Amino acid sequence: METNILYTHKDLVEKSKAGDRNSQYKLYELYVDAMYNISMRMLGIKEDAEDVVQDSFVDAFKNLNFFRYESTFGSWLKRIVINKSINHLKLKRIPVTSLDQHNYHISNEIESNEPIVASININKIKKGIKTLPNGYRQIITLYLIEGYDHIEIAEILGITISTSKSQYHRAKKKLVEIVNTL
Amino acid sequence: MDDFEKLIKGNKDLFDEYTADKSKIWQNIESNLDSPTKTIWLWRKSPLLKIAASILILIGAFTVINLFTTSVFHHNNQNNIVHQELRDIDTYYKDLVSFQVKLVKNNPKLHIEDKEKFLSFMDELDEEYEVLKLEMNKNLNNEYILEAIVNNYKKRIELIENLLKQINDSKKLNDNESYIL
Repeated sequence: METNILYTHKDLVEKSKAGDRNSQYKLYELYVDAMYNISMRMLGIKEDAEDVVQDSFVDAFKNLNFFRYESTFGSWLKRIVINKSINHLKLKRIPVTSLDQHNYHISNEIESNEPIVASININKIKKGIKTLPNGYRQIITLYLIEGYDHIEIAEILGITISTSKSQYHRAKKKLVEIVNTL
Repeated sequence: MDDFEKLIKGNKDLFDEYTADKSKIWQNIESNLDSPTKTIWLWRKSPLLKIAASILILIGAFTVINLFTTSVFHHNNQNNIVHQELRDIDTYYKDLVSFQVKLVKNNPKLHIEDKEKFLSFMDELDEEYEVLKLEMNKNLNNEYILEAIVNNYKKRIELIENLLKQINDSKKLNDNESYIL
Protein backbone atom coordinates (compact mmCIF):
# COMPACT_ATOMS: atom_id res chain seq x y z
CA MET A 1 0.00 0.00 0.00
CA GLU A 2 2.89 2.31 0.84
CA THR A 3 4.19 1.94 -2.69
CA ASN A 4 0.88 3.25 -4.03
CA ILE A 5 1.18 6.40 -1.91
CA LEU A 6 4.63 7.06 -3.35
CA TYR A 7 3.15 7.04 -6.83
CA THR A 8 0.46 9.64 -6.03
CA HIS A 9 -0.15 11.82 -9.11
CA LYS A 10 2.35 9.71 -11.06
CA ASP A 11 0.62 10.45 -14.35
CA LEU A 12 0.81 14.19 -13.79
CA VAL A 13 4.41 13.94 -12.63
CA GLU A 14 5.45 11.93 -15.69
CA LYS A 15 3.71 14.30 -18.09
CA SER A 16 5.29 17.25 -16.28
CA LYS A 17 8.68 15.61 -16.68
CA ALA A 18 8.06 15.62 -20.44
CA GLY A 19 7.36 19.36 -20.22
CA ASP A 20 3.56 19.21 -20.49
CA ARG A 21 2.47 22.62 -19.23
CA ASN A 22 -1.11 21.56 -18.42
CA SER A 23 0.11 18.77 -16.15
CA GLN A 24 2.57 21.13 -14.51
CA TYR A 25 -0.27 23.53 -13.81
CA LYS A 26 -2.44 20.75 -12.38
CA LEU A 27 0.37 19.72 -10.03
CA TYR A 28 0.89 23.35 -9.08
CA GLU A 29 -2.81 23.80 -8.35
CA LEU A 30 -2.84 20.71 -6.15
CA TYR A 31 0.13 21.73 -4.02
CA VAL A 32 0.44 25.51 -4.14
CA ASP A 33 -1.69 26.29 -1.07
CA ALA A 34 0.03 23.68 1.09
CA MET A 35 3.45 24.94 0.02
CA TYR A 36 2.46 28.55 0.53
CA ASN A 37 1.27 27.77 4.06
CA ILE A 38 4.54 25.99 4.87
CA SER A 39 6.52 28.96 3.64
CA MET A 40 4.29 31.43 5.46
CA ARG A 41 4.75 29.53 8.73
CA MET A 42 8.50 29.57 8.22
CA LEU A 43 8.90 33.15 7.03
CA GLY A 44 5.80 34.97 8.20
CA ILE A 45 5.95 37.50 5.34
CA LYS A 46 3.56 37.17 2.37
CA GLU A 47 5.95 38.47 -0.33
CA ASP A 48 8.85 36.34 0.91
CA ALA A 49 6.64 33.25 1.03
CA GLU A 50 5.40 33.90 -2.52
CA ASP A 51 8.97 34.25 -3.79
CA VAL A 52 10.01 31.01 -2.11
CA VAL A 53 6.99 29.11 -3.45
CA GLN A 54 7.57 30.43 -6.92
CA ASP A 55 11.28 29.48 -6.89
CA SER A 56 10.47 26.09 -5.43
CA PHE A 57 8.02 25.19 -8.20
CA VAL A 58 10.42 26.41 -10.88
CA ASP A 59 13.22 24.30 -9.38
CA ALA A 60 10.93 21.33 -8.95
CA PHE A 61 9.75 21.38 -12.57
CA LYS A 62 13.27 21.91 -13.88
CA ASN A 63 14.65 19.05 -11.79
CA LEU A 64 11.69 16.71 -12.01
CA ASN A 65 13.81 14.12 -13.83
CA PHE A 66 15.71 13.60 -10.57
CA PHE A 67 12.48 12.71 -8.75
CA ARG A 68 12.48 8.89 -8.53
CA TYR A 69 9.40 8.22 -6.34
CA GLU A 70 11.55 7.54 -3.28
CA SER A 71 9.06 9.76 -1.46
CA THR A 72 5.74 11.26 -2.51
CA PHE A 73 5.89 14.21 -4.88
CA GLY A 74 4.36 16.31 -2.08
CA SER A 75 7.14 15.46 0.40
CA TRP A 76 9.79 16.06 -2.24
CA LEU A 77 8.32 19.46 -3.07
CA LYS A 78 7.81 20.28 0.61
CA ARG A 79 11.48 19.64 1.29
CA ILE A 80 12.41 22.04 -1.51
CA VAL A 81 10.13 24.71 -0.01
CA ILE A 82 11.54 24.15 3.51
CA ASN A 83 15.15 24.32 2.28
CA LYS A 84 14.46 27.45 0.28
CA SER A 85 12.71 29.07 3.24
CA ILE A 86 15.69 28.30 5.49
CA ASN A 87 18.09 29.68 2.87
CA HIS A 88 15.92 32.77 2.60
CA LEU A 89 16.14 33.32 6.35
CA LYS A 90 19.89 32.80 6.26
CA LEU A 91 20.20 35.35 3.44
CA LYS A 92 18.24 37.84 5.50
CA ARG A 93 20.52 36.99 8.43
CA ILE A 94 17.60 35.83 10.52
CA PRO A 95 18.84 33.09 12.88
CA VAL A 96 17.28 29.72 12.08
CA THR A 97 17.89 28.60 15.66
CA SER A 98 17.41 30.67 18.75
CA LEU A 99 20.42 32.65 20.01
CA ASP A 100 20.20 31.24 23.52
CA GLN A 101 20.60 27.67 22.33
CA HIS A 102 22.69 25.32 24.44
CA ASN A 103 23.83 21.85 23.50
CA TYR A 104 24.32 20.65 27.05
CA HIS A 105 20.66 20.45 28.05
CA ILE A 106 19.54 17.00 29.00
CA SER A 107 16.19 16.36 27.39
CA ASN A 108 14.73 14.52 30.43
CA GLU A 109 15.55 17.45 32.65
CA ILE A 110 13.79 19.81 30.29
CA GLU A 111 10.71 17.62 30.05
CA SER A 112 10.40 17.47 33.83
CA ASN A 113 10.32 21.27 33.98
CA GLU A 114 7.63 21.67 31.33
CA PRO A 115 4.71 23.86 32.34
CA ILE A 116 1.22 22.45 32.04
CA VAL A 117 -1.11 24.08 29.51
CA ALA A 118 -4.02 25.60 31.37
CA SER A 119 -6.57 25.40 28.60
CA ILE A 120 -5.91 23.93 25.17
CA ASN A 121 -7.13 26.04 22.31
CA ILE A 122 -5.91 25.78 18.70
CA ASN A 123 -6.45 29.46 17.93
CA LYS A 124 -4.37 30.45 20.95
CA ILE A 125 -1.64 28.05 19.84
CA LYS A 126 -1.66 29.60 16.35
CA LYS A 127 -1.32 33.06 17.83
CA GLY A 128 1.36 31.81 20.21
CA ILE A 129 3.43 30.32 17.37
CA LYS A 130 3.28 33.61 15.48
CA THR A 131 4.64 35.51 18.45
CA LEU A 132 7.51 33.08 19.05
CA PRO A 133 11.04 34.25 18.19
CA ASN A 134 12.13 33.11 14.70
CA GLY A 135 14.37 30.23 15.79
CA TYR A 136 11.72 28.80 18.13
CA ARG A 137 8.96 29.23 15.59
CA GLN A 138 10.85 27.30 12.93
CA ILE A 139 11.66 24.32 15.08
CA ILE A 140 8.10 24.10 16.47
CA THR A 141 6.71 24.31 12.94
CA LEU A 142 9.12 21.71 11.56
CA TYR A 143 8.52 19.24 14.38
CA LEU A 144 4.86 19.63 15.27
CA ILE A 145 3.23 20.80 12.04
CA GLU A 146 5.49 19.65 9.19
CA GLY A 147 6.10 16.35 10.95
CA TYR A 148 9.87 16.08 10.64
CA ASP A 149 11.82 14.16 13.30
CA HIS A 150 14.93 15.51 15.01
CA ILE A 151 17.28 13.73 12.60
CA GLU A 152 15.61 15.44 9.65
CA ILE A 153 15.42 18.80 11.41
CA ALA A 154 19.13 18.57 12.28
CA GLU A 155 19.82 17.99 8.58
CA ILE A 156 17.55 20.81 7.41
CA LEU A 157 18.84 23.39 9.88
CA GLY A 158 22.44 22.20 9.83
CA ILE A 159 22.56 21.56 13.57
CA THR A 160 23.19 18.50 15.71
CA ILE A 161 20.36 16.19 16.71
CA SER A 162 20.84 17.05 20.39
CA THR A 163 20.66 20.77 19.59
CA SER A 164 17.47 20.15 17.70
CA LYS A 165 15.99 18.31 20.68
CA SER A 166 17.01 20.89 23.28
CA GLN A 167 15.96 23.74 21.03
CA TYR A 168 12.59 22.14 20.50
CA HIS A 169 11.96 21.70 24.21
CA ARG A 170 12.90 25.28 24.90
CA ALA A 171 10.64 26.45 22.10
CA LYS A 172 7.76 24.35 23.37
CA LYS A 173 8.22 25.68 26.89
CA LYS A 174 8.15 29.22 25.58
CA LEU A 175 5.07 28.50 23.46
CA VAL A 176 3.17 27.07 26.42
CA GLU A 177 4.06 30.14 28.45
CA ILE A 178 2.75 32.42 25.71
CA VAL A 179 -0.44 30.37 25.22
CA ASN A 180 -1.12 30.53 28.97
CA THR A 181 -0.93 34.28 28.91
CA LEU A 182 -3.41 34.61 26.00
CA MET B 1 4.16 12.93 23.33
CA ASP B 2 2.01 15.05 25.65
CA ASP B 3 -1.52 16.35 25.07
CA PHE B 4 -0.20 19.66 23.84
CA GLU B 5 1.84 18.01 21.09
CA LYS B 6 -0.97 15.58 20.28
CA LEU B 7 -3.39 18.44 19.85
CA ILE B 8 -1.14 20.26 17.38
CA LYS B 9 -0.14 17.14 15.43
CA GLY B 10 -3.74 15.99 15.25
CA ASN B 11 -4.97 19.33 13.91
CA LYS B 12 -2.24 20.16 11.41
CA ASP B 13 -4.79 21.07 8.75
CA LEU B 14 -6.10 23.89 10.90
CA PHE B 15 -2.72 25.58 10.63
CA ASP B 16 -3.18 25.97 6.86
CA GLU B 17 -4.85 29.34 7.15
CA TYR B 18 -3.34 31.15 4.18
CA THR B 19 -4.47 31.13 0.57
CA ALA B 20 -1.92 31.68 -2.17
CA ASP B 21 -2.41 34.13 -5.01
CA LYS B 22 -2.38 31.28 -7.52
CA SER B 23 -2.52 33.21 -10.78
CA LYS B 24 0.18 35.67 -9.74
CA ILE B 25 2.59 32.97 -8.58
CA TRP B 26 1.88 30.77 -11.65
CA GLN B 27 2.54 33.67 -13.99
CA ASN B 28 5.98 34.09 -12.45
CA ILE B 29 6.64 30.35 -12.51
CA GLU B 30 5.64 30.07 -16.16
CA SER B 31 7.86 32.95 -17.18
CA ASN B 32 10.79 31.19 -15.52
CA LEU B 33 10.17 27.88 -17.24
CA ASP B 34 11.40 27.18 -20.75
CA SER B 35 8.86 26.76 -23.51
CA PRO B 36 7.37 23.28 -23.31
CA THR B 37 9.57 20.69 -24.97
CA LYS B 38 8.13 18.93 -27.97
CA THR B 39 10.13 15.76 -27.46
CA ILE B 40 7.82 12.80 -27.55
CA TRP B 41 9.39 9.46 -26.75
CA LEU B 42 7.04 7.37 -28.88
CA TRP B 43 8.78 4.09 -28.20
CA ARG B 44 8.10 4.48 -24.51
CA LYS B 45 4.40 4.42 -25.24
CA SER B 46 4.13 1.20 -27.20
CA PRO B 47 6.34 -1.87 -27.70
CA LEU B 48 5.18 -2.04 -31.33
CA LEU B 49 6.48 1.48 -31.94
CA LYS B 50 9.70 0.43 -30.26
CA ILE B 51 10.11 -2.44 -32.73
CA ALA B 52 9.14 -0.20 -35.66
CA ALA B 53 11.69 2.40 -34.55
CA SER B 54 14.39 -0.30 -34.28
CA ILE B 55 13.59 -1.59 -37.79
CA LEU B 56 13.68 1.94 -39.19
CA ILE B 57 17.05 2.57 -37.56
CA LEU B 58 18.39 -0.72 -38.96
CA ILE B 59 17.07 0.05 -42.47
CA GLY B 60 18.53 3.53 -42.28
CA ALA B 61 21.91 2.25 -41.12
CA PHE B 62 21.92 -0.47 -43.82
CA THR B 63 21.04 2.07 -46.55
CA VAL B 64 23.79 4.44 -45.47
CA ILE B 65 26.39 1.63 -45.33
CA ASN B 66 25.20 0.25 -48.68
CA LEU B 67 25.33 3.65 -50.35
CA PHE B 68 28.78 4.25 -48.99
CA THR B 69 30.21 0.87 -50.03
CA THR B 70 28.54 1.04 -53.48
CA SER B 71 29.87 4.50 -54.16
CA VAL B 72 33.35 3.53 -52.98
CA PHE B 73 33.23 0.32 -55.03
CA HIS B 74 31.85 2.17 -58.06
CA HIS B 75 34.46 4.87 -57.71
CA ASN B 76 37.21 2.29 -57.30
CA ASN B 77 35.84 0.31 -60.22
CA GLN B 78 35.81 3.39 -62.43
CA ASN B 79 39.32 4.26 -61.35
CA ASN B 80 40.45 0.72 -62.07
CA ILE B 81 39.07 0.87 -65.62
CA VAL B 82 40.80 4.19 -66.32
CA HIS B 83 44.01 2.90 -64.76
CA GLN B 84 43.87 -0.20 -66.91
CA GLU B 85 43.35 1.83 -70.11
CA LEU B 86 46.22 4.14 -69.22
CA ARG B 87 48.42 1.16 -68.36
CA ASP B 88 47.66 -0.38 -71.75
CA ILE B 89 48.50 2.86 -73.58
CA ASP B 90 51.59 3.26 -71.45
CA THR B 91 52.77 -0.29 -72.17
CA TYR B 92 52.12 0.15 -75.91
CA TYR B 93 54.20 3.35 -76.13
CA LYS B 94 56.85 2.03 -73.77
CA ASP B 95 57.32 -1.05 -75.95
CA LEU B 96 57.35 1.07 -79.07
CA VAL B 97 59.94 3.47 -77.63
CA SER B 98 62.16 0.73 -76.19
CA PHE B 99 62.04 -1.14 -79.53
CA GLN B 100 63.14 1.98 -81.39
CA VAL B 101 65.79 2.82 -78.77
CA LYS B 102 67.15 -0.69 -79.27
CA LEU B 103 67.25 -0.11 -82.99
CA VAL B 104 69.21 3.09 -82.46
CA LYS B 105 71.58 1.47 -80.01
CA ASN B 106 72.28 -1.48 -82.28
CA ASN B 107 72.65 0.56 -85.40
CA PRO B 108 76.32 0.27 -86.42
CA LYS B 109 76.11 3.19 -88.81
CA LEU B 110 75.46 5.80 -86.11
CA HIS B 111 78.27 7.71 -84.50
CA ILE B 112 78.83 7.05 -80.81
CA GLU B 113 78.46 10.73 -80.11
CA ASP B 114 75.10 10.87 -81.87
CA LYS B 115 73.95 7.79 -79.97
CA GLU B 116 74.95 9.25 -76.61
CA LYS B 117 73.31 12.56 -77.40
CA PHE B 118 70.15 10.78 -78.40
CA LEU B 119 70.15 8.49 -75.34
CA SER B 120 70.80 11.33 -72.89
CA PHE B 121 67.90 13.22 -74.43
CA MET B 122 65.77 10.11 -74.04
CA ASP B 123 66.85 9.84 -70.38
CA GLU B 124 65.71 13.40 -69.81
CA LEU B 125 62.35 12.58 -71.32
CA ASP B 126 62.20 9.44 -69.14
CA GLU B 127 62.75 11.50 -65.99
CA GLU B 128 60.06 13.95 -67.07
CA TYR B 129 57.77 11.02 -67.72
CA GLU B 130 58.32 9.56 -64.20
CA VAL B 131 57.44 12.91 -62.62
CA LEU B 132 54.31 13.16 -64.74
CA LYS B 133 53.32 9.60 -63.82
CA LEU B 134 53.58 10.42 -60.09
CA GLU B 135 51.42 13.51 -60.62
CA MET B 136 48.91 11.47 -62.52
CA ASN B 137 48.59 8.99 -59.61
CA LYS B 138 47.77 11.88 -57.32
CA ASN B 139 45.09 13.23 -59.61
CA LEU B 140 43.81 11.04 -62.36
CA ASN B 141 41.40 13.64 -63.67
CA ASN B 142 44.05 16.25 -64.42
CA GLU B 143 43.86 16.67 -68.21
CA TYR B 144 47.03 18.77 -68.39
CA ILE B 145 49.12 15.97 -66.95
CA LEU B 146 47.62 13.43 -69.35
CA GLU B 147 48.32 15.79 -72.21
CA ALA B 148 51.90 16.29 -70.99
CA ILE B 149 52.41 12.50 -70.85
CA VAL B 150 51.15 12.10 -74.42
CA ASN B 151 53.44 14.93 -75.55
CA ASN B 152 56.34 13.28 -73.76
CA TYR B 153 55.74 10.09 -75.74
CA LYS B 154 55.24 12.02 -78.97
CA LYS B 155 58.58 13.80 -78.48
CA ARG B 156 60.38 10.52 -77.89
CA ILE B 157 58.84 8.92 -80.97
CA GLU B 158 59.52 12.01 -83.01
CA LEU B 159 63.12 12.01 -81.84
CA ILE B 160 63.52 8.36 -82.73
CA GLU B 161 61.81 8.83 -86.08
CA ASN B 162 64.08 11.75 -86.91
CA LEU B 163 67.14 9.75 -86.00
CA LEU B 164 66.01 6.74 -88.00
CA LYS B 165 65.21 9.05 -90.92
CA GLN B 166 68.75 10.40 -90.71
CA ILE B 167 70.13 6.86 -90.71
CA ASN B 168 68.00 5.88 -93.67
CA ASP B 169 68.91 9.02 -95.54
CA SER B 170 72.61 8.40 -95.05
CA LYS B 171 72.05 4.77 -96.06
CA LYS B 172 70.26 5.85 -99.26
CA LEU B 173 73.02 8.32 -99.97
CA ASN B 174 75.62 5.63 -99.50
CA ASP B 175 73.68 3.24 -101.74
CA ASN B 176 73.38 5.88 -104.40
CA GLU B 177 77.07 6.55 -104.14
CA SER B 178 77.78 2.92 -104.77
CA TYR B 179 75.57 2.99 -107.82
CA ILE B 180 77.40 6.04 -109.08
CA LEU B 181 80.55 4.27 -108.48
